[in-house]
Amino acid sequence: MPAEDLSELGPVDFYVIEFPAGEANFTGEMAEELVKLVDAGIIRVIDVLILTKDADGEIDAMELSDVPDLGALVAIEGQLAELLAADDVVNLAAAMDPGSVAGVLVYENLWAAPFASAARRAGGQLIANGRIPIQAIIASLEADGALETEGA
Amino acid sequence: MPLRPARIGRVGVVRAPVAKAAVVGAAVASPGPSPIVKTAVVAAAVTPGRRRRI
Repeated sequence: MPAEDLSELGPVDFYVIEFPAGEANFTGEMAEELVKLVDAGIIRVIDVLILTKDADGEIDAMELSDVPDLGALVAIEGQLAELLAADDVVNLAAAMDPGSVAGVLVYENLWAAPFASAARRAGGQLIANGRIPIQAIIASLEADGALETEGA
Repeated sequence: MPLRPARIGRVGVVRAPVAKAAVVGAAVASPGPSPIVKTAVVAAAVTPGRRRRI
């Protein structure tokens, strides 16, 4: 990819979505919502893998194209860039519990690309990013509540 | 199922084993106010107009 194209690239994130044993309930809704995000230009799906970890911790990886009935994901499958390497599978599966199945989704945040490019052109550089867990927000609010109670 | 040949031997982009994130559902089921109350409180906390106290 030329350097000028790279400068326009949005942030690339990944999700590992685990389905514990016996709890998967695939109705096609996830695929439809993902396709909506792609069609709306919010994200670009770069790669997808389906991982399984058996009770002994053995890992297996499946390409999206090997899924028998892709449904709405057919359109996405043809556009994948296959960024992930075999070495990545082990690192990604480290988060999984034995006996579970997980979907790995790598995507570009197209919505953030123009802002990121503008920040680069302004001389900025990303030095940190992250996600604030809902648990942390709850803990903060509960601590706030406790402070207010004590202060009353 | 085997991975595509293009993935084999390539340098990975995930540099270290990924740690399992805390599951949001578990937090909502934690002790304290009911899940519905907690959800409402969190939603209010991220609503525009809330000001931090310093």
